[in-house]
Amino acid sequence: MSIRIPLLVGAVILIAGLILSMLLTDYHLRLLNLAAISAIAVIGLNFAFGYAGLISLGHAAFVGAGAYGVALLTTLFVWSPWLALPAAVAGTAVLAMLIGVPLLRLKGHYLALATLGFNVSFSIVAANWIDATGGTNGISRIPELQIAGHALTDERSYLWFALLVLAASAAVAALIHGSRHGRAMIAVRDDETASSMTGIDVPRVKLAAFVLSSVYAAVAGALFAFHMRFISPEDFGYAHSITYLAMLVVGGEGSIVGAILGALLVTFLPEWLRFLGSAYLAFFGLFVLAILIFLPSGLAGIRRPRSFRRHELIKWPALVAASKEARP
Amino acid sequence: MTDLIQLLINGLAIGSVYALAAIGFVIVYSATGVVNFAAGQFVMFGTFAGVAMLLNAQLPWPVGYGAALLAMALFGALFFAVLYLPLRASPVVTIIIGTVAIGITMQNAALLAFGSWPFRLPSPVEGVNLTIAGATISAHAVAVVIVTALMVALLWLLFFRTSLGIGMRAVAQDIKAARLMGLKVNRLLALSWVLAALLAGIAGLMLGPMWFADTSMGDPIALKAFAATIIGGFGSLPGAIIGALFVGLSEVLGASYVSSAYKDLISFGIMILFLLLRPQGVFGERIQDRG
Repeated sequence: MSIRIPLLVGAVILIAGLILSMLLTDYHLRLLNLAAISAIAVIGLNFAFGYAGLISLGHAAFVGAGAYGVALLTTLFVWSPWLALPAAVAGTAVLAMLIGVPLLRLKGHYLALATLGFNVSFSIVAANWIDATGGTNGISRIPELQIAGHALTDERSYLWFALLVLAASAAVAALIHGSRHGRAMIAVRDDETASSMTGIDVPRVKLAAFVLSSVYAAVAGALFAFHMRFISPEDFGYAHSITYLAMLVVGGEGSIVGAILGALLVTFLPEWLRFLGSAYLAFFGLFVLAILIFLPSGLAGIRRPRSFRRHELIKWPALVAASKEARP
Repeated sequence: MTDLIQLLINGLAIGSVYALAAIGFVIVYSATGVVNFAAGQFVMFGTFAGVAMLLNAQLPWPVGYGAALLAMALFGALFFAVLYLPLRASPVVTIIIGTVAIGITMQNAALLAFGSWPFRLPSPVEGVNLTIAGATISAHAVAVVIVTALMVALLWLLFFRTSLGIGMRAVAQDIKAARLMGLKVNRLLALSWVLAALLAGIAGLMLGPMWFADTSMGDPIALKAFAATIIGGFGSLPGAIIGALFVGLSEVLGASYVSSAYKDLISFGIMILFLLLRPQGVFGERIQDRG
């Protein structure tokens, strides 16, 4: 795969974001910031779920690990935010590896429930380990990010930074998707036996996808912490894991563009449905259900012709390509 | 000692409620393969069906309970038609997200109808206490354990002594073969959803007097029911009962002897340990390759 598509994806995100950042009010810029941060997390979830087929209901715990990581390092140990960020991301990756090695032996709904249990446990610990996490009061006074002496305190300049990170994340994800590692993940999702027969190390590919997804989650969590400058356990409950999964499924799993569209739609939907008042969430559930029933490949699937949907599109070429490359 | 007896009875009572929720969850899972993430909201609907009939409509309790359970049975049939039929051919995750989506709608519909203020659902044996070996125990807790045992016995009769139940088991085992044998498969699948909704309704009516009826009570119940089915063995009915009693006891005993803040960590920690060391649970699932 050429370098063109990742660059194109990144450039489109930046240009669209720049234009929007000039037109919108502060409140909408804030929502756009949250959407961009969610999009980074959802692109990460796409590695685990969209490519490798691992149903994770614990993604919010990794977002939380990144957020608590930077919050603790900057407030308790007074590190520079730019030093805390990579440290928190690395720490989250190690956590994901420790969790992933035992948990990834499970499949399907067993994995879903185990990761759900992990997320619930994370919330319980975050809410009760008061010395470190501040309990339900959370951690406040997280310092702002600074670039060349300019503090990213207002929504517009933070959005530019978030979009830069989102564009880079999407471009890297597109590169991985096109590489043999990405194809190996997709092959594992479609048929574990067949892919192990072609020489793919299935447990390693699964772990790589899981850890990669947690790295994206941690980056999103760190960005969230520096944006809100206050975090508490309820920002990372398992309901948020379900929201991330819903964003991915609504947008179209297995698609980076879909992940971004899903994050945008699910973040802005409450705004557009404001006329429904308190009935909004009741409607939201029905809306997601309608998308599942009527658009089984999500928003990103709309442009594809029906005969080319989802599995048919990826399954065989991915396996064939993976089998060719795996030969010694 | 008297403390321990009290805790044990309370643990068994709360475990019985989890058991009914878990049994409904397992019946639906074995018949239709759907992991129902709205299972907790079903129980919440049961409680609020009781609130609507007993508190709002002021019906006497035998009529009110009957009306609430009738409403739950209809709801189970509706769930079958709106969620299961359109999504039955979709991948597991799509169905999981679908049940989550419906769960969100259920919770917020209840919030719109009843508000966020908690209700206190009365028990038919309100205020009656029993003394067992010096320990004072509410009659409601004892009644909950007895009703649950009765329901389990009835379910056993249904599944092993009636042609209807045997047909449901046949569908759970192999839908195609059951259809070829002339069973009305769709009707039996719908019946498993109705049965799950009824059991959740009974669980909800019994839980109401123990907890405050609150529209956000569904999620914790679902999580406990999941932990129970994993510990007991996914897809196994005896497993769901044993697992649920264990979860109820560990919750009540853990809160009293270990730490009330970390009481839920015990059941989830044990659930994760089971997943890692013995994913088939105590009783195991017949089809071994699911783990």
